[in-house]
Amino acid sequence: MSAAAETATLPKGVLEVVGPEGVPLRFETASVAERFVAYLFDLFLVALTGIILYIGGVLATAVSGLGEPLALVIALAWLVWKFYYIGFEMWWQGATPGKRLLGLKVVSADGSGLTLDGIVARNLMRDLEVFLPLTILLAPQQVLGDAPWWLALPAGGWILVMLGLPFFSREHTRAGDLVGGTRVVRVPKTALRRDEAVRHSLPPDAPVVDAWTFSRQQLSFYGEHELETLAALLRDAQGGKARPEDLQVVAHTIARKIGFRGSAPNEDPRRFLRAFYEQQRAHLERQLLFGKRKASKLDQ
Amino acid sequence: MKGARKELRSVSFRREREAQWQELDALVERALKKGLGTLSEGELRRLPVLYRAALSSLSVARRTAMDRALVDYLESLAARAFLAVYGSRKSTRGAVRRALFEEFPRRVRALAGEVALSTAMVALGAVVAWALMQVDVGWYDAFVAPQLAGGRDPHASTEMLRGALYGEGGQMDSGMLSVFASSLFVHNAGIGMMCFALGFAVGIPTLILLFTNGLMLGAFLSLYADRGLLYELCGWLLPHGIPEIGAVILCGAAGLHMGRSMLVPGRRTVPEAIGDAGRRASMVVLGSVVLFAIAGLIEGLFRQLVTDDTLRYAFAAFNAIWFFGWLLLAGRERTTVERPVPLPEGSKA
Repeated sequence: MSAAAETATLPKGVLEVVGPEGVPLRFETASVAERFVAYLFDLFLVALTGIILYIGGVLATAVSGLGEPLALVIALAWLVWKFYYIGFEMWWQGATPGKRLLGLKVVSADGSGLTLDGIVARNLMRDLEVFLPLTILLAPQQVLGDAPWWLALPAGGWILVMLGLPFFSREHTRAGDLVGGTRVVRVPKTALRRDEAVRHSLPPDAPVVDAWTFSRQQLSFYGEHELETLAALLRDAQGGKARPEDLQVVAHTIARKIGFRGSAPNEDPRRFLRAFYEQQRAHLERQLLFGKRKASKLDQ
Repeated sequence: MKGARKELRSVSFRREREAQWQELDALVERALKKGLGTLSEGELRRLPVLYRAALSSLSVARRTAMDRALVDYLESLAARAFLAVYGSRKSTRGAVRRALFEEFPRRVRALAGEVALSTAMVALGAVVAWALMQVDVGWYDAFVAPQLAGGRDPHASTEMLRGALYGEGGQMDSGMLSVFASSLFVHNAGIGMMCFALGFAVGIPTLILLFTNGLMLGAFLSLYADRGLLYELCGWLLPHGIPEIGAVILCGAAGLHMGRSMLVPGRRTVPEAIGDAGRRASMVVLGSVVLFAIAGLIEGLFRQLVTDDTLRYAFAAFNAIWFFGWLLLAGRERTTVERPVPLPEGSKA
């Protein structure tokens, strides 16, 4: 399948999700560091809630002399600890407070909606991933008990594999993500930038008149990459961030490469560059309609 | 040559659709920041429509537009909208009821093979412990941790063992009982969850955990049987044991299901197989947590308050009925009887 072939070429840290509509969408997966910070924040909130609950429970027990408040608190604190992540990821669309703080979200890897069973599965693995290694490190007796010492070797090896998983997997997948069929991604945010091919000073319906026209020959020198670089330069010029000398140098270079004759690059480099950009883009888009894509000038 | 020409295709493309994109952007921004709940009825209906429009814009732009700013924006807008539209849905009414009374029993039945293996593992542990105890009572200490035994070991007198079943020797008040009940729930449910999670190591630790739980059970049964207290012990054990041991077995089966998917992924890749199995099994664990809570209540309250053997057995029978009824009968599709369609007059069969 072509989708599988494309996935194989994705760079590390990029997740491609194909939703029910069949359009592949790309996400950046969250880094291990981001997820760790989010986890610490959530852990802090859980611990805080637990401490408050226990203080309340102990006080209520001391005042009333009954055992029931304490019993309630024991069960409640446990439920908060276990269901904090499940609850928030369910009701807050895949984000705990820690994840929201860092702009992260849980998505299902196969592009279907995030479901309760996936959320439960990924969070049931949490203790195994965090507290079991910690216990083994700090108090191995508690876990291994009287088991023969060599049993620690496969157990330790397995735990190392599990802990290493997020670091080495392409999508920073932890064991819980595998089990739940989920991934954690960054919420993308890109503002819509100005289109440099639009003549913003003219009304939208005005006919477009080119100051200079470039020949097919001249337009077939550069590709997409150069076009995008030029767009960035024009955007900078618009924002007053590009120096006039730079514009002049670029205009000269382009004129020389494509064999443009005339004084335009010297007199008004910016207008010249804009005109070139517009027509170059029109040319490349026309070529694209015929299925021809030119990535850069090196692309024949 | 100077002359008027038509506007760039991608420019008009953007101009015609930009307002729609901005509208979607604003909706998604609110949905992600403040939740879908803050969207009005009309906006909720509009969201998927705008999302699909943005997707088609993206598909077109990827194929035809040479403006990176435009394509990048649409990529990010579509991805954000995906998160808002396909993030976990807000629960509909009856979600909990469906999860517990339809999903949970259905998944349990789908895991019949694993449940059988899990049960066999506990039973094997019990038989082994029983057999070894018949040879040498000293094995008891190897199977039951002293802090769990609480003095109920081979050195204890028969009177003391009997007394432990009826809450004699240190009668607890109801407050202490409730603390005891919730501690038991927390402890057992934690073990159940671990049973599932350990399935990630190809199910081997899950098997071991089930086996050692069986050992403990067998040692206990053997100890009491030696003193002629088997009937009394079962009366004490069964009321809470049915949901509790049942839940341990179910969590074990869930872990084994995950382990099996790693060994036999079928035509899927191993990660895909683990994901499928994990999601199926997780609902079994969720239901088991409810079972543990029920068992904790029975263990902490009922067992200490009711000391009559017959009543205990009656309650055990009652528990067995709802337990097996829930797992075996709940959530089954109602079978619809299909009536044969009568053939039209004059046609030949």
